[in-house]
Order: sequence, then structure tokens, then C-alpha cells
Amino acid sequence: MAFNTKDVVLKEDRPRTLLLQKHSDYLAGYGLDKDDFEFCMTEYLRMSGIYWSLTAMELMGQSSRMPKDEIIEFITSCQDKESGGVSASIGHDPHMLYTLSAVQVLAMYDRLDAIDVEGVVRYITSLQQDDGSFFGDKWGEVDTRFSFCAVMALSLLHRLDTINVNKTVDFVLSCMNFDGGFGSKPGSESHAGLIYCCVGTLSICKRMDALKADELAWWLCERQLPSGGLNGRPEKLPDLCYSWWVMSSLSMLNRIHWVDKKSLEEYILACQDAETGGFSDRPGDIPDPFHTLFGLAGLSLLGNTSIKLVNPTYCMPQETIDRLKLEPQVLHI
Amino acid sequence: MHGRVKVRTTEEEVARKQKERQEKLKKFKYAMQKIQGKRNQGELDKELLELTGNVLSSNPDIYTLWNIRREIFTLFLKDDAMLDEMCALYDAELQLTEYCLKINPKSYGAWHQREWVLTTRSDPNWAQELAVCNKYLKLDERNFHTWDYRRFVVSKCKPSLKDEFDFTTEKLHDNFSNYSAWHYRSKMLVALFPDVEGGRPIEDSHHKHELKMVQSAAFTDPDDTSAWFYQRWLLGAVRNSVKLVVVTVTKSKTTLAFNQYVSHDYVKDKIQIVFNKSTIAGDWISCTGNQYDIVWIFKHTETIQDDMEIEVEHDGDNGKNVVGCVKVKPFTFIGKNQISFQKSYSEPVLKELETQLDACRQLLALEPDNKWTLLTTTVFLYCIDAKKYHNEVIENLQALKSIDKLRIGYYNDLITKWCIENQLNNYHGDNSISFKISFDEKISSLPHLQFYSHCENVDLSNQNISSKGLPSLIVLQNCKNLSLNNNKLTTLKGFPSLELEVLDLQNNDLDKSEVDLLKEKLNCNIIF
Repeated sequence: MAFNTKDVVLKEDRPRTLLLQKHSDYLAGYGLDKDDFEFCMTEYLRMSGIYWSLTAMELMGQSSRMPKDEIIEFITSCQDKESGGVSASIGHDPHMLYTLSAVQVLAMYDRLDAIDVEGVVRYITSLQQDDGSFFGDKWGEVDTRFSFCAVMALSLLHRLDTINVNKTVDFVLSCMNFDGGFGSKPGSESHAGLIYCCVGTLSICKRMDALKADELAWWLCERQLPSGGLNGRPEKLPDLCYSWWVMSSLSMLNRIHWVDKKSLEEYILACQDAETGGFSDRPGDIPDPFHTLFGLAGLSLLGNTSIKLVNPTYCMPQETIDRLKLEPQVLHI
Repeated sequence: MHGRVKVRTTEEEVARKQKERQEKLKKFKYAMQKIQGKRNQGELDKELLELTGNVLSSNPDIYTLWNIRREIFTLFLKDDAMLDEMCALYDAELQLTEYCLKINPKSYGAWHQREWVLTTRSDPNWAQELAVCNKYLKLDERNFHTWDYRRFVVSKCKPSLKDEFDFTTEKLHDNFSNYSAWHYRSKMLVALFPDVEGGRPIEDSHHKHELKMVQSAAFTDPDDTSAWFYQRWLLGAVRNSVKLVVVTVTKSKTTLAFNQYVSHDYVKDKIQIVFNKSTIAGDWISCTGNQYDIVWIFKHTETIQDDMEIEVEHDGDNGKNVVGCVKVKPFTFIGKNQISFQKSYSEPVLKELETQLDACRQLLALEPDNKWTLLTTTVFLYCIDAKKYHNEVIENLQALKSIDKLRIGYYNDLITKWCIENQLNNYHGDNSISFKISFDEKISSLPHLQFYSHCENVDLSNQNISSKGLPSLIVLQNCKNLSLNNNKLTTLKGFPSLELEVLDLQNNDLDKSEVDLLKEKLNCNIIF
């Protein structure tokens, strides 16, 4: 039985240059038609959708094409008065994921005054458990994604002191695996997306020392496949969003040079849709704002100077992080 | 949106699809409106269960709809009239989640609902749930949601660990490429076979057994990466305790370097500084300002004499360790501990490693360019006797750079690390306060630099150090003369505040304005 590495082959006629104008047009047009099928069916994650689009636009220096006032008003109306949390959209329930997206968007707009910050702090702190973990909402789902959401949102609000940071770190560390990676809860398999969340949490809490840096970074650089693209777990297909999860983690670990930048850049560029603009998970698939952000952010980490510098911990423009005077930790090498 | 291929179709087809979608959308919007209307009116009833269930059946990720269903269930539970129906309702809920998981096997909402039902109802059938896991793992052996759910079920119905361990063996015999099963196995292994006596992560006899098993898996197909990761872990599974490596006492500063990061509480509780037989009071300050650090500065008010007896006591994992300091020049005292980077295995495990090394060498003879075989051979050599095999290890890593071009940066840093370890193994004992690279390979990063925290003269010239290594220099707390001549520096951003006298930055690609700024910050002589 011959073993086949799961991968894709990049075609000769693939896009090889960065189509910035197309991406900007794609995102500016996304959601203009409120009756668009795809747009309506993704209402349950609207707040994150806004974060993906706005951040991508910010990185391209095109955020003026986003309806700022409408967005801010929308966020204000999505905050739940009682719990203080923010929902994905009107008529949906507050959740940690969308509370973070709302805070990120308002931080980029420098308009954190548009929501009840005390409410957000109250909501997030109420979701921390005795073992340091966080619920996603009052219904009790535990995931390291929510730990990251909590520390990221609170640090953007300069209120990290309102939770038990040591316990937060201890919980995340209890999710560390034999390969140095992390999963969604204690015992869960390592996954590049969750590794980003856990490394990001440690970066914000300034406890990067607790990582098995060399083991973890080796596992991460082994995600690169012959096509140049990165997968999220061993023996899986490449996917553009892992250009972000893996590369941001490697950046925080100060080992971004462990992957081959040139072939990864070629893979990312090949995931562009030359007709409509936007990026997809793999060459030839349908694009969406999520992959468009992670494609652009990945290129920024690789040093593409036509895109603004992105911060690897926050996945927001470095200028926003500087303005807020945040200094997430990067490991020494 | 994942894995949706863009297909070209005719205009007619597009129009037809568009119409179909508009119909669907109309129904969807109507249902969502009705649901929200009923919820706002407080009508948490069976009709609402049905409405939300219909929408979820095709859109299992709309989290709010699952919330509404839980609200309804919570209300029903308080209603005595509903008592007889609850069991059937819970069963129906499990069926709904199963239906949803067919649409999207990775739906967080559906999986969580299943967990919620099982923990809320009073009559959970865990055996049935374990069977569900088995069924789903047959459909997709790598779905991490299913594995997570299995761990949840196992935590409730508590089958024996051995059963679960055997389950991973079974899964691996189906397919060695199942990384999820290797992962689960690693958890079972340390729980089932902990080494209580020697303090190792795994009991020796089983360590050996696992090494055998993983080798047969890896050899079945050397291009499948799953087993190699597990093997690398097994090789690294040795105990590593905190060690004090260098103590430096000068008139201006007392610094302690450790082999790993330790906390403020750790140094405060475990370390005592003794001058002329009396313990000195003082405060501990991390050299980076972090809570955990690798070099700690001890602030005290004693005057350092030229003739002093200085000892540092470390209350470590293996009992008390006393490091005596010797005078290396007037008013400068250095104390070092014996160090070794050699991994220590028990005799039987070492024997097994040697057998496996032989097997690897044989396989390599057949396929000299197989990355995984070469890398594993190299790791075996390093683990068995790093000093003896040093040259071969480095040669292999050089070869890997041309076989596995995507990861040249990794191999460069590994060469750097293992060469520095080799140099430290050879020279750590001497009392020189100068550090210079003594091997031909150029270093690309700065691992183990804290072992040189006592050095006044640090010569890192003619290497491949890039600007991202600069923050690491912070551990050179006693350095006065530092040379970074002829490296790959492109910016001085991140250069730490060191008390240098001379800094050589010649032959780097640096901006003069940046150099001037640094000169101002460090207040030292910069050669540029």
C-alpha cells in the first residue's frame, strides 16, 4: 500500500500576484444585498463576519469603504442589557465569540465608548469557572477558544485584572499534549486553530515560557505540505486559514522562519478568486470574508509590504495594538 | 466556507438555482420571524420546539435556536404534567442532534446539545452513547468532535482505562495513520503506566513496548507522519528537573541562571545566597520583567569584598545542591554546576533504542533520501550519545536541509542548538569569562545563552544571527564587550538594555540612525 500525502497541486494558470483592488471590491460589496442567500444564512455569525471584513479592509488601508456608523450602531444594538454580552446579530443570544468580535471592531474604530464596557467585563468574568476555564455562554460549553476570547477582549479593554489570570493559564496548560500542541479542552487532540488560541492566551498573559517551544514549533512547521500550503493536523488537506493559525503561532514563538515563506506565499496567492476577488480555503473553491482576512493576514506575516503589519496575537493591525499600548509577549530564540 | 468547489454552470442553471434559493430564503426568514415572535411572547411550547427543530435540521449552527430548545426543556422540567413525556422528548432531541450531525459532523452546537441532554436527563444511557461514538469514528476516524465526545462519555461511564487503551490499539491496527488514535493513546499511556519509582513519565517496560510498536507502525510506511510524532515524544519522555547552572557575583550585580524558566516564588523559596557563611537578605528581579524567567538578579545591600566565601544553596527536586563560587578576577566570583544535555534512559530502554537505531540504519541504506528515516536516525543518535555521535548528527542535519527544503530554518536552528550543547558539554567546567563560538557551523539563533550570563566578553561575530535574536541578549547581564560583527542584522529594534562598554555592529545591514539611537540608549561605545 503506497501512502499518499494529502495535498493539492497548484495549477499553472493560478493567480500569482496580489489582487488588492479586487479583494477590496469583494468585501465592500459583501452584504450590500440584504437578501443575498449566503449573507442571510450566516446571520448567526454576523458580528464575527464584520470583524473579518473590517480587519481585512484595515490591513489593505481600505476601511473607509466599510459603513462605519451603521456598524457601530449595529454593535450597540447587539449588546444584551442584562448580561452585558454581545450577540452575533439582533434576535440572537449573547456569546463570548461575538463579544470578542464586537470589542475588536470597536477597538479598531477607537469607539469602545459605543458599548457598556462594564457590562462586557461583567459578562466575561461571569463565565470564568473554578478551574480557570471559560464557558462560551451561560449554557456551559467549555473550550480553549473561549479562554482566548476572554483574555483578548479584556486586554483590549485594559481590564485583564478582573479575571484570575493564573488560573486561566493553568487551565490552558492542562490542555497541552504530547506533541506540545493544544486542543479545545483537557484531553483533546492538538489542532493548529486551537494552538493559536492557547499560544495567544499565553502571549497576552505573558506566560510563553510555559510552552515546549521547540517541540510545538516543529509540529507546526511540519504542517507545511509540498504545495506550500499548511494543514491544521497531520495527514489533513491544506487550508488557507491555517496560514494564519500556524504562522501567527510561529510568530509568537519567534520561529516563523521554520516554514518556507516563498512556497507558502505562492499557495496563498493561488487561493485568490481572480474573478470575484476574495480568498478561499483551497485554490478553485468559493471565496468568503473569513478566508480573505486570513489570506491577507498571512501575507502580512510573511512580510508583504503592500499590506499593513498585522499583530500575530490579536489578528488586528499592529497600529491598533500600538495605539492601545498593548505588548503581547513574543518568545526569545 | 470549507471545501466548496466553485463550479461553472449555464445561465439557465444559475437562474434556476437562484429561484430555488429565494424560495428557501423566504421560508427561512418566515420561520425565524415566527420563532422570535413566539420567544418574545414567552410561548415556550411544543410548537416552538417543532419550529426550531425544522430550521436546525438544515442549519445546525444557529446557536440561539439550541438555546431556545434548552429553555423550553428547562420549563417543561418544572411542569408536573410533562413528567411522563420527558423521556420521549429527550430521545427525540438525541435523534435531532444525530440528524444534524449528518448534515454537519463538525457542528459545535449539535454536539454540545447532545452533551447537555445526557447530563440533564436522569436516565442517560452511556453504553448507547459509546456505541454512537464507535459508529461515528467508523465514518470519520479523525473527527475531533467525536473523539472529544467519546472522552466526555468515558468520563461519565468510566470504562477501564485498559479498555480505552485497547481501543486505540484496535484503531491503529486498522490504520497506523490515525493521529487522533496516537494522541488518545499518549493520554492513556501515562495514566496506565506511570513510573512511580524512577519518576519518569512512563514505566520502563512499557516504554520499551511502545517504542517497538511505534517503530513497526513507522516502518509500515515511512511517509506517513503520524507515528513519527509519537515516536519523537517517546524518545523525549525523560525527566527534566530544574537546575541552577551559573552564579555570578560582582560588585554591581548578583545573577543566577537556570536550565529552565522558574518563577519569582521559586527563587524566593528555593534559593539562598550565603556570603561568608551567613544568608543574605535581598529581592529577586527577573531580567526580562516577567513572572517566570531563566536569569534572575538578586538585589542586596552587602558590599562585595575581594576575598569572600560565596555559596548558593538550591533546594531542588533531587535534594539540596550547593554551588560554591570561585574568584575569577578581583571582585568577581563565579559558581557553576555540573551540566549535561545527555538524555538518560534506563538500561533496557537504551538497549531498545540501540536496536532501533540499527533497524533505522538498515532502512536508510535502502532509501538514503527518506526524510523521516534520516531524521529519526539522527534523533536516535542524539538521544543515545550526543557527544559520541555529534559529528554524524550534524552531518545528517546538513543532509536533511537538502532533502527537506521547506524546513531549512528548523534544521539550521537545530544544528545551532546541538552544537552549542556540545560546546557547553566540553567547556562549561572552565572559569573563563569569555565566550566565543568554537565550531565551524554558523549559529542562527541563541539557545542556552543563559549559560554564558557570567561572561564579560561575548564574541558572536561571523554568524547568521538575525534581528529577531536580539531580545534574547537580555540574559547577558554581565557582558561588557559584545561583538555582533558580520551577522544578518537588519534592524536594532528589540535590542535590550545591557550595561555594555563596547558593542561591535560592523558588517550588518543597519541604518546609521538606528545605531545612533541605540548608542544614546545604551550609552556605550558602538563600533559601526
